[in-house]
Amino acid sequence: MLRAFNACLVLAVLAAAYVLYSLEHSIRGVERQIARSNSAIVNEKEMIGLLGAEWSSLVRPERLQRLAEQHLKLRRISPDQFVKVNELATRIPDEPPVKLEEDGKDAIGDILKAME
Amino acid sequence: LILVSARKDGHLAGRNRLRLVTFGFILFFMSISAQLGYLTLWQGPPERATVEYSERLPRPDIVDRNGVVLATDVPVFSLYADPRKILDIDEAVELLTATVSGFDVKGLRQKLMQPNRAFVWLKREVSPAEREAIHNLGIPGIGFRVETKRVYPMGRLASHVLGYVDLDSKGIAGIEKFLDDQGALYTASLAEDNTRAMPAVLSIDIRVQHALADELARGITKFHAKAGGAIVLDVKSGEVLGLVSMPDFNPNQENKNFTFDQANRMTSGVFELGSVIKAATFAMALDYGAADLTSRFDARAPLVIGRAVIHDFQPTRRILTLPEVFINSSNIGTARMALGVDVEKHKEFLRRVGLMDRLVTELPENAKPLLPQRWGRLVQATVAFGHGFAVQPLQGAQVVASLLNGGNMIPVTFMKRDRADAKAMAHRVVKAETSEKLRYLFRLNGLEGSARKANANAPGYRIGGKTGTAEKVVNGRYDKSKNLTSFVGAFPMDDPQYVVMVMLDEPQATPETYGFSTSGWNAVPTAGNVIARIAPLLGIEPVLTDEERKTLAKQAEKEGKT
Repeated sequence: MLRAFNACLVLAVLAAAYVLYSLEHSIRGVERQIARSNSAIVNEKEMIGLLGAEWSSLVRPERLQRLAEQHLKLRRISPDQFVKVNELATRIPDEPPVKLEEDGKDAIGDILKAME
Repeated sequence: LILVSARKDGHLAGRNRLRLVTFGFILFFMSISAQLGYLTLWQGPPERATVEYSERLPRPDIVDRNGVVLATDVPVFSLYADPRKILDIDEAVELLTATVSGFDVKGLRQKLMQPNRAFVWLKREVSPAEREAIHNLGIPGIGFRVETKRVYPMGRLASHVLGYVDLDSKGIAGIEKFLDDQGALYTASLAEDNTRAMPAVLSIDIRVQHALADELARGITKFHAKAGGAIVLDVKSGEVLGLVSMPDFNPNQENKNFTFDQANRMTSGVFELGSVIKAATFAMALDYGAADLTSRFDARAPLVIGRAVIHDFQPTRRILTLPEVFINSSNIGTARMALGVDVEKHKEFLRRVGLMDRLVTELPENAKPLLPQRWGRLVQATVAFGHGFAVQPLQGAQVVASLLNGGNMIPVTFMKRDRADAKAMAHRVVKAETSEKLRYLFRLNGLEGSARKANANAPGYRIGGKTGTAEKVVNGRYDKSKNLTSFVGAFPMDDPQYVVMVMLDEPQATPETYGFSTSGWNAVPTAGNVIARIAPLLGIEPVLTDEERKTLAKQAEKEGKT
């Protein structure tokens, strides 16, 4: 009787030890995962900051103006180009000024090619 | 028997002892499990350890009103060595010089041959590619430290507003210093993951700032001016959308020994703004009821006060109505107008619009106005047209904004602000009718007076403004050949939204200006160019008269031909 009880207890201890160990093991894994994710987040944030700084230096208005003047045939907007919505119908030209898809031509592609 | 009983007693005693021990063990384990239960079940999460910093504190980013990054921290890696741990100096030197350019072999060897030192810098600011390469060499005793570096991606743009930091990341000038004084650094250090804090959002619009800087630089080159400055101010919120002072500086440069000339002249310098101050005098006379739009002022002869004589720059030699005094910028007329007001009331008005006190904004660089010591009749007359009365240019812009926006003084700011918040902090300085009359005068001057060329350069945007040409004081005397020309105006005049101020220091006459170097020929057209560029950005709808439409069509035709 007592022996069977003791055997039960030993088994219970073994089972509990196994459960406890596997739980601890998995928790260690999760902790490592958290640490990895945290450092990845820090890295990503640093990267975002770095890319933000780079983006900001690329969209410098002074640089954009220089590039636009060099490569685009655009003029500064003139006040008479502003049209009210209800006057819009009278302002539509008969022929589109830039034919983007004329006979398989690629107007934007041509600009890009010219830039190269 | 004794023996037996003793044995029996001994047996009993042993049993009791065993019980005691068992009891003790049970108590012990129970206390342990109780403690365990308490710790695991009832205790909250462990308190976060205080964030510790080995290197510099992180600074908050600075962004413009649309979120474009103007200043940020970037991590840089610096290479160091622990000479005690380096096994083979020759090999280390050879490997390093072979992988990374810019190493001086002799110097490197000397640095590594210090066996009693534990730390020497080998190279500051190593690029990521170099870092990877050095890392792959696997030399023992060599490592990297992460440092942060403050960068200003926009370079020179808005440098006077942003300011800069010293080598230890401490704010030295501009908003950077303001942030330090505000303790934003401290806030940043408490930020959740100690890498990024909330950015400081400025009122500056980087597109407006660029247009302003670009057009001002053009103006300075065109008229061979020594220096210049410009401001764009939101009339209804007091926000500064752009502030330029030329010559400017690059906050990214290593050596920050900037010259005095590179200082922010719009806030850290005081100038006699000349006729801009006249606007304040008109507002005073109209607000006190000392004059109205139909009042007449005798400008037939120079005004004599004691031993001093006040002349007009371009004498009209007739009796002028109040609008005519404004358009012709008559010193005599303005002086007479001011003399119609009591001295104390005059001073009280100037104090009310903030011209008597130092203007304090977020920028730490601010100058105290230079005011006359004793206020007699002569001083009152000269102050009326801005002589002997020097203030920060930003102060001038603030006054004009408050006179045109309906009469509410809103303190200027470099940080983004809601219009509702601005309304709450506004206080009335002149009556709404006075503001209405000033709008009329400003618009009239933009249509017929000295500010005509602004409207010619920016048709449709209904600009009104006041010009000023002040002679500079050289060695304590007014020098007729050296001018400081300024323009301050607003658009669109039917409901002013933005104030633009342009200032040129010693502009020269060119053939194009027919030999004139007054404000109307240089500062005004420059301001017109600025407005033509920023008005579409700021969402101001142009309204063209038929005449303007024709001129524009002619211009387009001309350009189309060439």
